[in-house]
Amino acid sequence: MVKAKKKPFEEIKQAIEGYTRVLNIGCGGCVSVCLAGGQKEVNLLNLQLNAAFSGENKATRVDSFTVERQCNEMFLIDLDKVVPRYDGLMSMACGAGVQLIAERYPDKPIFPAVNTIAVGVDRQIGIYEERCRACGECVLGYTGGICPITRCAKGLFNGPCGGTNKGICEIGNEIPCAWQDIYERLKEQNRVDDILKIKTAMQWQNQTRRMIVQDEYAGRYEDKK
Amino acid sequence: MSSPKNDNTVNTEAIREVLDTHRAKMKTALRVCAHCSLCAESCFLFHVHDGDPRYMPSHKFINSIGRLYKKKGRIDQEALEEISEIVWRRCVLCTRCYCPLGIDIPEMIALARNICRSQDVYFTWDQLEQEA
Ligand code: SF4
Ligand code: SF4
Ligand code: SF4
Repeated sequence: MVKAKKKPFEEIKQAIEGYTRVLNIGCGGCVSVCLAGGQKEVNLLNLQLNAAFSGENKATRVDSFTVERQCNEMFLIDLDKVVPRYDGLMSMACGAGVQLIAERYPDKPIFPAVNTIAVGVDRQIGIYEERCRACGECVLGYTGGICPITRCAKGLFNGPCGGTNKGICEIGNEIPCAWQDIYERLKEQNRVDDILKIKTAMQWQNQTRRMIVQDEYAGRYEDKK
Repeated sequence: MSSPKNDNTVNTEAIREVLDTHRAKMKTALRVCAHCSLCAESCFLFHVHDGDPRYMPSHKFINSIGRLYKKKGRIDQEALEEISEIVWRRCVLCTRCYCPLGIDIPEMIALARNICRSQDVYFTWDQLEQEA
């Protein structure tokens, strides 16, 4: 599912402090699963924001409303009655959800409270791993189920670059070389031929797989890193 | 189910208000349902649970929003928790269920979730761990 992480508190606060009544809209879908923007996170963030604003004698106040899924209009109907009471909106859904809300209420300024990170898998509660960049041309079928776009720092399509070193990527941090892994897996399956065919390269920026660790759970996993 | 409130008071008046704004649709859905169980065929959770009738879409909406409607929102925390159990644990709101009579079952289940949410009763994914 889509994985997201809450923006830094100060960034959120600054974005909305010019508004008096702000509605923070949570999503019961993916961001609820990855503990970034469900009802619980909305309530907690609002508590913190309202305390901060009242402590600074600012007029801004934030209310909550969580819908089942912000990416589906059928779940937005009940918002129609609520939204007119606010001069600013905030969304804790992924970028898709934020945009659907923006589209539905074009006269209301909207601010995302989370950063949408990736399509990923659940490793543990509060810890998630990027697995797909939704490139729209999935190549997993010939790469042994290992995504070269997500896993290779250069998003290479036709084997490793010259920087691969005993199975480790040259960018460091002991990041495994995606293409080494692809090769090993295909070899095990007797399918190395699959990567001998030349694939036209895509233009991607250097990116390595990101881990999304929710702050609340970071301490718990520190030792294991 | 998660209930971050310290007290277990339910604001039945607030529930009533939500029910009132959707009264016509709920009434129609509850009256029209012929208990034909055809919707069951379209729910993957019903199949995954070997045809357990508690997973029938009709059963789920009748025992959630139907219960709230019949009680006119006068319901206690315990009942709300039971309802939330149905609408979160037995339905993922995939919106795939099909009713030949045109009842929008996911809409009914989403409405029951809204009512639970309005009383701070909802499901959180870290509670799975506490239960394990
Ligand atoms: S709006 Fe985004 S986070 Fe919410 S359910 Fe849809 S895809 Fe997932
Ligand atoms: S190739 Fe990688 S980024 Fe593209 S769709 Fe497949 S898994 Fe996702
Ligand atoms: S919306 Fe719920 S009841 Fe309908 S098919 Fe999906 S899981 Fe089943």
